[in-house]
Amino acid sequence: MRQIAMYGKGGIGKSTIASNLSMALKEMGLRVMQIGCDPKRDSSRALAGGRLIPTVLETFREELRIGKDKYAISLKDIVFEAPSGIYCVESGGPEPGIGCAGRGVLTALQILSDLKAFETYGIDVAIYDVLGDVVCGGFAMPIRHGYAQEIYLICSGGFMSIYAANNIAKAIQRLARRGDTGLSGIICNSNGDERLERKVLPVFAQSLGTKFIELIPRSPVIQACEVEGKTVVEYSPNAEEAKIFRELAQKVMENNSSAIPTPVEELSDLEAMYREHLPR
Amino acid sequence: MAKRTEILSQILKGEKCFDPYLFCALHGAAMTVLGVENCAVLTHGPQGCAYLVDSAFAWQEADWIETETLCTKLCEDEIVHGGEELLARTILEAKELNIQALFVLTACGPEVVGDDIVAVCQDLQSRIPFKLIPIECAGYKGSQYDGIDIALDTILRKLSRNSRKKIPRSVCLIAPQANANPTWVGDLAWVKQTLSQMGIQVVATLTYKTALSDFDNISKAEASLLLSHDAGKKAADYLSSQLGVEQICQRMPLPIGMSNTERWVLELGKRFDVQGLAEKLVAEGERMVADTLRRKAWGVSGESLDLRLLYRMPVAIIADATIGIPLVRFIFEDLEMTPELICLRSSQPHAMETLETEVEALGLNPKIVYNTDVYEVRRSLDEIKPETVFGSNVERHAIEGLGIPLIFEVVNPMRQFRLVNRGYFGYGGILNLLELIENDFNDKWRSKERRYKARW
Repeated sequence: MRQIAMYGKGGIGKSTIASNLSMALKEMGLRVMQIGCDPKRDSSRALAGGRLIPTVLETFREELRIGKDKYAISLKDIVFEAPSGIYCVESGGPEPGIGCAGRGVLTALQILSDLKAFETYGIDVAIYDVLGDVVCGGFAMPIRHGYAQEIYLICSGGFMSIYAANNIAKAIQRLARRGDTGLSGIICNSNGDERLERKVLPVFAQSLGTKFIELIPRSPVIQACEVEGKTVVEYSPNAEEAKIFRELAQKVMENNSSAIPTPVEELSDLEAMYREHLPR
Repeated sequence: MAKRTEILSQILKGEKCFDPYLFCALHGAAMTVLGVENCAVLTHGPQGCAYLVDSAFAWQEADWIETETLCTKLCEDEIVHGGEELLARTILEAKELNIQALFVLTACGPEVVGDDIVAVCQDLQSRIPFKLIPIECAGYKGSQYDGIDIALDTILRKLSRNSRKKIPRSVCLIAPQANANPTWVGDLAWVKQTLSQMGIQVVATLTYKTALSDFDNISKAEASLLLSHDAGKKAADYLSSQLGVEQICQRMPLPIGMSNTERWVLELGKRFDVQGLAEKLVAEGERMVADTLRRKAWGVSGESLDLRLLYRMPVAIIADATIGIPLVRFIFEDLEMTPELICLRSSQPHAMETLETEVEALGLNPKIVYNTDVYEVRRSLDEIKPETVFGSNVERHAIEGLGIPLIFEVVNPMRQFRLVNRGYFGYGGILNLLELIENDFNDKWRSKERRYKARW
């Protein structure tokens, strides 16, 4: 089974890419499970027809309230099969401002593992859509505990998104020493300046010791699908964008490289690298 | 900075481990609030942390049939989602208790995930018939001494009132519990007795069997008397700056040994204008010690207390600052031994200043280690190689293999079982210490190794 995780700056488009990638992998005949690792619980919205599904932690709390434990949870209560046949899970988490979201994500993943969700559904590919940024040790838990084995960084050509990706690479570098986890590549979710992105991101990927995988263009089609709570592959299967997601799925499945990244240590070096590719 | 770098490099090389003597801040806070009568303690944390409260229980001579200790027993769900709801439920369940106040203490988990215990207590106060006093004392905030300071600060801010009227010749006693004498209540008893003999009233003790109403009156005290070199200074500073309670007997060692006791008692006499009484107490005390030694030093078994054997022996003092600092003069002047190593478990700036002044005044040049841990103690003992250690049962084991023949166990943890409180302060305290020294001196002949050889 392949276990793929999407990391990147908040709002960069991880859920959009994860959902479309899941859909494209499903089209390839694979059994796919997408796991949203974010208290916002909106990762699988586009797969579940625009609705928000109940979360693992919510269900777990209900069981605890009646004096039961996680083994009282039925997989049917936390794993939802989308109309497309993709299995969707949302970890859920605490209300903003209290509790520990990182610990929550790990608890949810542990429950899935203990209930043998992957084995039960015969999953070929699990896609973890991890929340925003590596802001504390808790958010790194999916990596630390070996759930996220192939990590893809999502970024655009915006400097701050590259900066965030570099920080995440630092966390991966620290955590990858423990086991099978590694950085598998960079996927660009374009902010519109494709010319710059096609120059700067391959260089950035090279400096991290990984590959530049694909550029997803900024497109009104993708935005329209998002509003409708659908994936492009499903809602507009003949669009150019759908073709790009299918290519991305192909590349991800063919990509067997997974490296311990070598992030850029100094901010000034990152700035210099970026500046080199800006139009004069 | 160099020292920090050195320690870090040792850790990286795996050469150093930290083996602390002290419990965490939660323990110190519990140790403090359990000294307030007719109250209960609720630990907002996992159940293991409540064990720290239980271990503080006996330290304050609390009683299971009088004092309730509760715990929210946090589990994973409360760490993920926050435990405020469970805390509120537990407080509401406790409302039937016949108490005057409920102290709510936080462990590390709930503070890390952002539980706001102050807000929960504020929200519930109107529905609860007793006072709710939240104390944010997560273990990671420091040692048990920091916990004592946090608890005293919170309680004083919440309960004390500023009164312009002062009670003449009155004091409040601060932090008697921050003392590694395992029966520190004996020290407190001597202080109270001495004050009483000098006609000085104790308005409040922070804390030991303290009534909640004592906090209302605390600002009526003329002066505060800090009974620890390890904790309580912040409370004394607060009382002087906010409530006009003057700090007395500052920058001097606590009354252990002849000279320290004399100095401390005379200072009290001077402050309260009872010099004659103070001099009389000193004279009577010194006479009592001399008479007792003359009559009893030759024991019934024929074993004599022969301090000549200890004359000029190099000594290490491994203790808390409360006992350790006054021991320096006692050991040097009264026992005529030479302190060559002093390792203290804390590092309060005022205590460091007191120790360094003492060492200079006595013309000593020992190695001094503050905030020590067991590893550092063993390393220092190995480096200095004293012939005697004044310490605890921990050092009895730490000196194994270092060729140090003698250990006198004076501070917690110690092997000796005590039911009767034995103080080290004052003149009775001198006799208690001499008794310990004599018994441990004889005990050196009873080592495991010697017994084994004698038998086989």
